[in-house]
Amino acid sequence: MTAALGKRVGGETRAEDRATVPAGPDAGVDEIVVEGLSYAYPGACEDALSGVDIRFERGRYYSLLGRNGSGKSTLARCLNALLVPTRGTVTSCGLDTCEPLDIPDIRQRLAMVFQDPDTQIVGITVEDEVAFGPENLGLAPDVIRERVDSAMELAGIAHLAKRQPLRLSQGQKQLVAIAGALAMEPAFLISDESTSMLDHASRRRIVDLLTTLAGRGVGVIHVTHFLEEASTADEVVVLEAGRVAAVGAPAQVLADPSRVMELGLDPLPVTQVGKELAALGHRLPGGILTVEELLAWLRS
Amino acid sequence: MVGRDITIGQYLARDTSLHELDPRLKVISVVVGTVMIFLYPSGWALLAFAGLLVITMVASRLPLVPVLRSLRTVWVIVLITALLQLFLTPGEVLVRWGFVTITDSGLYNGIIFSARVVILVLLLAALTMTTPPLKLADALESLLKPLSYIKVPVARVTTVVSITLMFIPNILEQSRKVIRAQMARGADFESANVFRRVRDIIPVLVPLFVKVFHDADELAMAMDARSYRGGVGRSRLDPMHIGMRELLLTCLFIGLSVGLFFVF
Amino acid sequence: MAAILTLESVSYSYPLPGEGESAALDGIDLQVERGEIVCVAGPNGSGKSTLAQVCAGLLVPSSGRLLFDGRRVESRAELRGLRQRIGMVFQSPEDQLFAGTVTADIAFGPRNHGLRGAELEKRVRSAATIVDLSLERFGERSPFSLSEGEKRRVALAGVLALEPDVLVLDEPFIGLDHDGREHLKAALERYRERRETSVLVVTHDLADTWRLADRFALLSGGRLVRVESSRELVSGYDLGSLDMRLPQWGVLARELVSGGSEVADPADPAELARAIASILEARHGG
Repeated sequence: MTAALGKRVGGETRAEDRATVPAGPDAGVDEIVVEGLSYAYPGACEDALSGVDIRFERGRYYSLLGRNGSGKSTLARCLNALLVPTRGTVTSCGLDTCEPLDIPDIRQRLAMVFQDPDTQIVGITVEDEVAFGPENLGLAPDVIRERVDSAMELAGIAHLAKRQPLRLSQGQKQLVAIAGALAMEPAFLISDESTSMLDHASRRRIVDLLTTLAGRGVGVIHVTHFLEEASTADEVVVLEAGRVAAVGAPAQVLADPSRVMELGLDPLPVTQVGKELAALGHRLPGGILTVEELLAWLRS
Repeated sequence: MVGRDITIGQYLARDTSLHELDPRLKVISVVVGTVMIFLYPSGWALLAFAGLLVITMVASRLPLVPVLRSLRTVWVIVLITALLQLFLTPGEVLVRWGFVTITDSGLYNGIIFSARVVILVLLLAALTMTTPPLKLADALESLLKPLSYIKVPVARVTTVVSITLMFIPNILEQSRKVIRAQMARGADFESANVFRRVRDIIPVLVPLFVKVFHDADELAMAMDARSYRGGVGRSRLDPMHIGMRELLLTCLFIGLSVGLFFVF
Repeated sequence: MAAILTLESVSYSYPLPGEGESAALDGIDLQVERGEIVCVAGPNGSGKSTLAQVCAGLLVPSSGRLLFDGRRVESRAELRGLRQRIGMVFQSPEDQLFAGTVTADIAFGPRNHGLRGAELEKRVRSAATIVDLSLERFGERSPFSLSEGEKRRVALAGVLALEPDVLVLDEPFIGLDHDGREHLKAALERYRERRETSVLVVTHDLADTWRLADRFALLSGGRLVRVESSRELVSGYDLGSLDMRLPQWGVLARELVSGGSEVADPADPAELARAIASILEARHGG
């Protein structure tokens, strides 16, 4: 908890932490730059994204929020060239997503896990599943072995190596998916609502893993509609109707429950209590978003 | 993509020697076996082959019960065609009830035919239960590689085959769910009224198709995101390799299968 | 007044291939009163989906008795009849949409039960109103052209059109954003008001129904462990042992209550704020 607090207040990653995750073939630029991005799905009359400008850096944990239809998944998929901009540009790790020849490199540097644990599985054992990505890159078997082992270790699923992924719990399946992404040794990990279908304990575990990864130099972009998960991020980005409606530290963006509701999100209980408290003449100090923090403050 | 029941030869995760065997050898054996099953001239050859198959499965410690269960799904077809053979083949009459006749050739053909199908199903089950779809695809791709020199898109075809196989449990699970949901809304799948049952297929088929196509899209996207390029330049964590022992045993199996043709 | 739905010592086991029987439910005693909203909560694997299906007449209990409106439900025919009176909404209900138009899809259920003409139309309209779906706008459109949220409303309307006495929902909040949740809760409240029907919501997260449910039935390993109101839940029961957690509201309320504060409604932010305010004022001697 305090580590997360520390992250919000002064969240710079140490240089040593960045070095623990290898950067891939050649260390490109450590950021994703989105400029004037617009995207319309084929056949749609409206833009799903309109003129989005934003930057993501390695080693930071970003939470991407928004109501259903706000464009958050669309934005996520524009980052790793699953979708190509209708207007504007996306430059991921120095590579332009509109350039077809760069797509394989982009996809190696920006790994993605999806919402439905079941429809992203291709392997018969967990090992096979995690090896899928490196195999696609044509790496040598011993290199693949090494990557698979360290990815499973990092995700905490080494003991499940020989199990069948489809027989695991939903939460475990997502950990396997993340391990599969890590085996690509990516610069960024994009989680497209990977926690939406999970129970609380599994969600917690995934968010903890994502936080650890950010600490180790991976840029984490976590799309979610659970504000609890956003409260420990370095930066929160809220989309509304295809545009960026709010960007900033969680303490700033999520503090006002009415504003949060306008954006189609479920305000954090503590902020709602805080609002009522303010009406009674007591102000909560800024930066209190969870019950633990509230209780800690109350006791002091 | 979850399916808990044993469907027609769905992969079983066990540690048998058949599991370890190079999938290419398995595929070749199955192809040879299939051809032989339909070529064998006599019931004795079929019986001997069945024996060979069973011995192979037992020796490699493949649990027979699930294999036998895979017969459950085909027994109706087998029964119908066997009965057709039984009643419609001309020959020396054995029994006559009204206008229904059973001839000696009919009886023989009926039994032989059923036997061929049963053994075929067992052979295929032995393959699919010990070989995960992706490995099957690898084997097919490797074996069909020569075709790619004449521009046949081997990699794509095998990807399609393996993904189709992977989707079978998904399709079954989805259909279970949809049937359940429609039943809860009063659709009757147990009705005596055949017309009603046929009409109620639409509320099952339409959502099933929609969901399966949607899932397939999602899977394709996930594979894309993980740099899948259709098998071009793919390596393996566990590359296929054929050991001497495996090769010899496979040759033995194939040799015996073919040999039975001449013996019986 | 008799409870609308009663389960007496209901057990359910199902055979797992190659592993013999596995008990999903063990001796469940539960009563659902008319007009109640009951939340059945438990971690994954606790048997809550199984319980939901048993309540809806889709699974036959291995032992125990099921009573609907005071009468035993036993034979196949009776169970099928139960399905008419109890509407079951599965997870991802939009996966069941199939008809050419929204109206036709909603009408599927009542049509199967013999309704036609004006009566049928009335039912469809009524159901659409409850889920806040405009038939003028959507009635003739294909269900597949709608957004996810709209599809879900159509699916829910399809079950409401049966006008069941009890509505059972299996994890209805998964994948919904704030708007979606509010819509669903509003629809459930509206439905309950209209016909004094009962609602059974199965969920793994108490936060979903914290402000909606009258009572919470906690399941663990196939057994019903507690049935309480949210107020009772915060006064000291240890949920950790059940592999569940109180929602943030509940955690806060519990701390306040154990510190001696009065919290009448642990789901009301104003109440919680008041309790905190009195602590602060007491501290500053005000």
